[in-house]
Amino acid sequence: MSLSPEDDFSAAEYVLGTLDPAERATIAARRQREPELEAAIRAWEERLSPLAEAIPPIEPPRDYLADIEARIRGSAPALAAPNEAVVALRSRLARWRAAAIGATGLAAMLAIGVVFRETTREAAPREFVAVLQKSADSPAFAVTVNLDTRELTVRPVSAPAPSGKSYELWIIDAALGAPRSLGVIDPADVTRANKIAAFDPAVVKSATYAVTVEPLGGSPTGQPTSAPVYVGKLIPVGP
Amino acid sequence: MSAGTETPTESPVPPTGAELAALLRRIAARDSAAFATLYKHTRAKLYGVVSRILTRGDLSGEVLQEVFVRIWEKAGDYDVDKGSPIAWMATIARNRALDEIRRVRPVSLEDMPEGFEPAAEEVDPLGARDRSERLTALMRCLQALDEEKREAVLLAYYRGFSREALAQRLQRPVPTIKTWLRRGLAQLRECLS
Repeated sequence: MSLSPEDDFSAAEYVLGTLDPAERATIAARRQREPELEAAIRAWEERLSPLAEAIPPIEPPRDYLADIEARIRGSAPALAAPNEAVVALRSRLARWRAAAIGATGLAAMLAIGVVFRETTREAAPREFVAVLQKSADSPAFAVTVNLDTRELTVRPVSAPAPSGKSYELWIIDAALGAPRSLGVIDPADVTRANKIAAFDPAVVKSATYAVTVEPLGGSPTGQPTSAPVYVGKLIPVGP
Repeated sequence: MSAGTETPTESPVPPTGAELAALLRRIAARDSAAFATLYKHTRAKLYGVVSRILTRGDLSGEVLQEVFVRIWEKAGDYDVDKGSPIAWMATIARNRALDEIRRVRPVSLEDMPEGFEPAAEEVDPLGARDRSERLTALMRCLQALDEEKREAVLLAYYRGFSREALAQRLQRPVPTIKTWLRRGLAQLRECLS
């Protein structure tokens, strides 16, 4: 019946837009299965939406009606085509594929992270987050990396516990060759790891992070034994 | 479906909230002429919403298209008791823009175009004829906030400022910004209830 004040504030900040990417993804996932949180978000939308009436209009640069109608008719193009990095990653990851995920699903997962990579900032940010997910609306883990402390933190968002198996986190980058293990991660609690200290910060920032389901305790071979179930890339937090 | 229903056409007078609500009902019944009319009357408003948050023109156009696809899909969910049609559409637009900006990167101050002050005093014509009691009430509550809390809330709402961008703009540490937001929002909820 009653939502905690903390959650109500998260709902308010979700609507206001001031949550960071990992927090926003967490709330977006939780609202799907927590009716009280969903109701709180709706209530905040109602409270704040009158502000929108005051926004002065700006004429768009061109007429999009025909494009919109084409999308509605079902010929909607994806937001962006995969770039070279995606294609390269896809071919590398394809080698792992143990028939768990189709190739198109994999391409979509990777595109989410790679297409929006941004590097245009003067003061280099030191904190990064990645949302590891199957698709945009199903985040499983939030990964936070602090380049100063070289600490990596993994928070479960909505990852089902694999029965009799373990989740293992991998860092993947062309500079590294094969995927490198960052260790087994807990689907129910925060996992902290300092293994990224061994990697070049530039690689840490640009790498893809992937989670596979491995035998209990982690892959016995030091290499992934199955296809990744969740994938993501880091984006900077902060201005 | 489309014949016989009064539609705001080439008139320079923007449609009222009631007219927009009628268009949404027709769109819910898959009336594409109503959709074209709605697009014509609300595209600039919704582009104003997304482009102030995204600041990158290419992304704004892309997001605007997605917003109208969503309006087409969700028109049946519009509930006249929960606010004006334009507020409902703008909520969809803000949400999409925020999902985009929080995925790409936070807004940086250098990206900010000049000339839009978050005073929210300037009310555009589409809303003006229908300037709701809700907005009047909300403005009254905003006026009751300390100036810096009001500015933080409005910059976040209108410009998509992250906590970090607010900290930079308002020259305060992030935890202070978080406290301001929390107190400001709690005060608004209290004032509006």
